Amino acid sequence: MTFWRSKRASTQDKAVAFDLEAASYARFENVGLEISGRTILQDLSLQLNQQRIGLVGLNGSGKSSFVRLLNGLRQPTSGRLEIFGADAVAARKDLPRHVGFVFQNPDHQAIFPTVEEDVAFGLRQLGEDDRLALEQARDFLSLHGASHLAQRPIAELSEGQKQLVCILAVLIMQPSLIILDEPYSSLDALAARRLHAKLESLPQKIVMISHDPSQLEDFDRVVWIEAGGLRADGAPGEILKAYDDDIRAKAAAAGVDDWDRGHL
Amino acid sequence: MISLYHPGTSWLHRLPAGGKLIALAVVSLALMSQTSLPMLGAALGVTLVLYRSLGPGWVGRLAVIRSLLPLALVLLAFHGLTGDWLLGAAVALRLVVLMTLANLVTLTTRMDAMLAAVEPLFRPLSLFGISPRVPSLAVVLVIRFVPVLHQVQLALREAWQARGGRKSSWRIVPPLIIQALKLADHVADALSARGGASGMVPSSGAMARQTESV
Ligand SMILES: Nc1ncnc2c1ncn2[C@@H]1O[C@H](COP(=O)(O)OP(=O)(O)OP(=O)(O)O)[C@@H](O)[C@H]1O
Ligand SMILES: [Mg+2]
Repeated sequence: MTFWRSKRASTQDKAVAFDLEAASYARFENVGLEISGRTILQDLSLQLNQQRIGLVGLNGSGKSSFVRLLNGLRQPTSGRLEIFGADAVAARKDLPRHVGFVFQNPDHQAIFPTVEEDVAFGLRQLGEDDRLALEQARDFLSLHGASHLAQRPIAELSEGQKQLVCILAVLIMQPSLIILDEPYSSLDALAARRLHAKLESLPQKIVMISHDPSQLEDFDRVVWIEAGGLRADGAPGEILKAYDDDIRAKAAAAGVDDWDRGHL
Repeated sequence: MISLYHPGTSWLHRLPAGGKLIALAVVSLALMSQTSLPMLGAALGVTLVLYRSLGPGWVGRLAVIRSLLPLALVLLAFHGLTGDWLLGAAVALRLVVLMTLANLVTLTTRMDAMLAAVEPLFRPLSLFGISPRVPSLAVVLVIRFVPVLHQVQLALREAWQARGGRKSSWRIVPPLIIQALKLADHVADALSARGGASGMVPSSGAMARQTESV
């Protein structure tokens, strides 16, 4: 099964240099994103360098689009974006090796039907031999107390179990940065606490979108995205308060029945 | 997500994937031109015995037959109306046997095993610089997502009926196409989020992994 690899390595190796120790793991310079003529993100300039960064903003403000730029699922259409010191456009194919992405909906992330196959897939993507990848996936699952899930079809798991599997499937690839797009949206309070503790114990840098301010309170920084731009950026206490106040003000001004106000 | 694979430890599960795929191909070829009703009846009998060997719950695994019935009936009626009911019965029976056998293989074969079995077929492609992993992954993804699409269709039909639509309608076809495209989009994203269909270049990563030293 190593046949194609030697071929690929010799013909397509562009040797993108990542600097995993870079002070800023993401550097945005006037970054903009347009999709079929619509401006989704505009003129973003910021640097991400904290261990754990939260992202808030209303529905449709551009949070998911923003984090998709970080692991190469989307490329900026203007400005310049560097991830771990490498140009995000030139390095797009290699970004997933260092930037793991946990999807908002686990059903959109799982590719293989059973848990261990899906977890092993990431290792195979990194060039691991099929059989070794499966063995390591099983070991990894039991290391994280999930050996009982190994053989189960992902479709049959509870939402909390699916979320855990999706995170483990990303973790096993040992990324330096992990993106989580609203990981709490379908978890009950107990599962949310467990996930919170798990995330806290990770050595990886984390960028997480959440609609639940309490999950971001102990983060190092919160970035507030509004209408595709940067609205505010700073310490969680201050930003989360301002965000909450803004929501109250909007609700009072427009009446809660006005679904469009404030949305992009 | 749903898939046809059903975890288990039956002898059919333990059989190598390549063997099952070859056996399926041989039997399909042999039955392809078979019109003898007794022969096809016997083939159906053998198929049922194979299902039986899956152990408890095997009857439920035969659900695929139910979704085939309308098509089988159409085939039967078509041949019947053109004057050959026996041929119609043979054609319909053949369809049922072939599909339930194929279903049996997907029921008892894990996707990674299927992938490994299919990949050598595409190996000559690497002479042209194409990774054989891409087409084999495509084949397996098709096998994987056909039942998902079927589920989407059922869900749409329910949504249609829940809002007062009649039993079923061509009107669910456009949304079904849109959902299929969205599904394809999601799968493509899921793949590229973990490095794309052909995996990630090893050597550049090897460099980076050293610095990473986890
Ligand atoms: N593929 C696409 N094509 C066109 N427009 C898109 C596409 N993806 C996103 N958008 C638009 O970009 C804007 C931002 O979407 P995005 O998903 O980033 O928002 P979000 O902040 O993550 O919202 P939510 O909280 O609802 O998840 C929305 O107006 C959306 O309609
Ligand atoms: Mg989103």
